Amino acid sequence: MIIDQLNEPVPGSSLLSTPTGDAYTDPTIFEREQAEIFEKMWNCVMREDSLATAGEWKTITIGREEIIVVRTRKSGIRAYYNVCRHRGMRVCTSGEGKNKTLQCGYHAWTYALEGDLVAAPNLTSMPDVDRKEYGLKPVHVRTWLGYVWISLADDPPSFDETVLGEVKTRFGDVESIDNYGVENLKCGESKTYDVQANWKLIIENFMECYHCATIHPELTEVIPEFADGLASQRKNGEVHGASFGDDIQGFTVDGSSGVSSLPAIAPGQDRKYYAITVKPQVFINTVPDHVIIHRMFPVSESRTIVVCDWLFQPQVIDEGMEIANSVELFHRVNQQDFEACEQTQPSMSSKAYDHGGALVPSEHHIEEFHQWWAARLGGNVPVPA
Amino acid sequence: MRIDSVNPPIAVFLTDEGDVHAIDDTCTHQDASLAAGWVEDCRVECPLHESTFSLLTGEVDQPPAKRGVRVHEVELEGDDVLVELSDKAPQLPPGVTL
Repeated sequence: MIIDQLNEPVPGSSLLSTPTGDAYTDPTIFEREQAEIFEKMWNCVMREDSLATAGEWKTITIGREEIIVVRTRKSGIRAYYNVCRHRGMRVCTSGEGKNKTLQCGYHAWTYALEGDLVAAPNLTSMPDVDRKEYGLKPVHVRTWLGYVWISLADDPPSFDETVLGEVKTRFGDVESIDNYGVENLKCGESKTYDVQANWKLIIENFMECYHCATIHPELTEVIPEFADGLASQRKNGEVHGASFGDDIQGFTVDGSSGVSSLPAIAPGQDRKYYAITVKPQVFINTVPDHVIIHRMFPVSESRTIVVCDWLFQPQVIDEGMEIANSVELFHRVNQQDFEACEQTQPSMSSKAYDHGGALVPSEHHIEEFHQWWAARLGGNVPVPA
Repeated sequence: MRIDSVNPPIAVFLTDEGDVHAIDDTCTHQDASLAAGWVEDCRVECPLHESTFSLLTGEVDQPPAKRGVRVHEVELEGDDVLVELSDKAPQLPPGVTL
C-alpha cells in the first residue's frame, strides 16, 4: 500500500522520504487536490468586517469555482456560485462592490442579496418559474474568529470536528485559543504574497523550523530555541509554545516591546509563540499581544496566493499605536519563507528530485501531512518507488 | 406588492415613512414588476435597469424608461387599502398588451 510506504523510514536511516517531485508539478495532481481538498473542505476566505454593511460583496476563488460572498440585510453573510442560473454568465464581474441586488449583466436576471430570483425581463409572464429554484446556487458559510469560512461540498465535513476540533485539540485545554479572543481583534495590517510555489511546499515550510536558524535571523533572535530546529508544531499534532529569549521584550523585528498583551491569555502564554496549521489552507500564529493569520489560495500547481493578516486589540488600531515593528517581524519571515519555497519549486521537476527528498527527525511530523494528503486523494499519489 | 387581479397589474407600496401608494406595476421600458423594485425617498427603482418612478406623480427620472407610469388614488379605511384606478391610458412596454 502506497500510504504505508510513506511511513517507513529507510532501514537504519534517520531520514523519511517525501513525495516525489511530480507531486508538486503535475497539473493532474493539482486538479485532484482542487476537487478532493479545496472544493470539499472548509476554506477561510475573508474577514467578516471586510463586508461591513448590507449589499457589500466580494468574489473569491475556491478550488476551480468563483464564489460571491455578500452581506445580506437580515440573514448575515451568504455565499453563492457566481453563475447566473439563466445562461451562466458571471453575475458579479469585478472583485467587489455594493448593490441592492445582484444582477447579471447579460439578460438582467436579478437576484436578492438572499439569493432568490426577484426580477427578470418578462418574469411576470412566467409564473411557473420558481424564485428559489432559480435563485443563485448557495454554498455553506460559517463565521468564526472574525472570518468567513466556506465549504463547496454538498454535504460539508463537520465544522466542529474539522476546524474547531483541530484548533482546540492542538492548542490544548489550558493554552486555549479562546484566550486570545481572536474574533474581537481588528486587522491592523494585511499583506498579500503572490508565491510562485506549490501550496504543499508552503505548508511543509510552515510546519518545520529546521530552516529557522538559516533563513530567519530576526525570528531566531526573538525565539532562540528555534535554533534547535524544532518548530512549534510537533508530532501527533502537538503544539509547543516556543519561548521568547530572556532579553526579548516583545514579538517584534528587533525584540523591542510590542503593545499591551491580550487581556485573557494564560500565564503560560505570556512570553510564547504558538503556531498551528488548519488544513488545508490556514495558519494561525499567536503571540501575547497579537495574532497572525495566513490564508492560502492555490492558483496552480506552481502558484499560491497567501494573504497574511496581523490582528490586534481594537484600541491598538483605533488609537494608532505603533505596530510597525510587530508587523515587520513576520513580514520578513514570510518573505524569507516564500523566497525559499520559490527557489525550491523549480527543482521539483528536476531529474535529481525524481525520487523526492528527505525529512530529518525534526521534520518527521510533516509525514502526518503527507499521509493526510495521500488519504484525501484516495491513494495513488507519487511517492518514491 | 403586485396586484395582478386587475389589468394591467398594479403595485401597492408601503413606504418606510408609513405611506401607502399605488402605481402601475409594469415598467414602461421592459416587462418587469416594479413591486420587486427598491423604494427610497418616495420613488421606486425598477429592479432591472435602474429607472426610478415617483410614487406621487409616476414620472420617470432617467433612461432607459422614457415614459412615466400611472398613479392610482389610494384611500385607507381602517386596515383596508382602497385603490381608485386611474382612467388614463396605461404606458406599457413593447410586447405587453392588455
